[in-house]
Amino acid sequence: MISTGNDIISLNAINITRTKQEKFYSKILSPTEKELYSQAEFAAIPFENFVWLLWSIKESAYKYLKRINPGLVFIPIKFSVKKLLIPHGYALTNFEATQLEGTGFNNIPALKGIITIGADTLYSNSLIYRELIVSVVNDNENFENVCWGIKLIERADPEYQSTEARKFLAERLQGFLHFYEFVISKNAVGIPTVLKEDGELPVAVSLSHHEGLVAYSFQ
Amino acid sequence: MTRTEILNELKKVFAPYTTNKEMLAGINDQTDLIKDLKINSANLVDIIIDAEAKYDIEIDYDSADKIINVGTCIDVIMEKLNQNK
Repeated sequence: MISTGNDIISLNAINITRTKQEKFYSKILSPTEKELYSQAEFAAIPFENFVWLLWSIKESAYKYLKRINPGLVFIPIKFSVKKLLIPHGYALTNFEATQLEGTGFNNIPALKGIITIGADTLYSNSLIYRELIVSVVNDNENFENVCWGIKLIERADPEYQSTEARKFLAERLQGFLHFYEFVISKNAVGIPTVLKEDGELPVAVSLSHHEGLVAYSFQ
Repeated sequence: MTRTEILNELKKVFAPYTTNKEMLAGINDQTDLIKDLKINSANLVDIIIDAEAKYDIEIDYDSADKIINVGTCIDVIMEKLNQNK
């Protein structure tokens, strides 16, 4: 079954003091995952951002698997990030655009991860800027058919976030599905779906928002 | 401590993480934290830690697994309070 999962974190909205407390981060990271932070290249990334990076990878993995197993519950510590490779010479930069879209992650300095939960193994690509973290998960290392986008929005109220996220995704999908009248909806368990008049289209989509940011992924 | 007392205290725990104040005022066992209160999933760990501090309990991940709505949240808190007796 085709699926996708993504997540976005606004780093301006996180509670830095709380994130650095062991009581907090130990509910997200296992001791083994904390050791990943000791890689020399992570010196460029503050610890609190590392914690939220792993959160975003795990939440993306959860969304990927929830489409396949609707009864799945998100407990971050049960998702295990086994590997996290940061590009050599990685430097944290500002997110200069108002929106950024891509297909795959071949020409962009993404952090690549491997996640397991039970018998499932998934792969992630994450982008980190000073203002945000975005992650996208797939069931193999090849992301060349995975489309993704990040956009700044004006307000952070949940209804506006939801509307803007769907609008942003619909604009990109239009390029692929222009021969259909479609709407983006959510099924009974909250999984986003793309519907045409007589049923669901075979495209897996994922939406996320946090504060003044929205993001999508699909394939 | 009764379920009603815990429910009323949970309103204060949830308050910083929801903008849906009308829904918060009328929460019941079936109120879903994410779908109804529009609490961002990134704040669920905050809520667990705030509840742990408020009731001097520890919510392990197997218990956190059960927290989906207000009712299951109260169940977990009552279970942990009883274990502390």
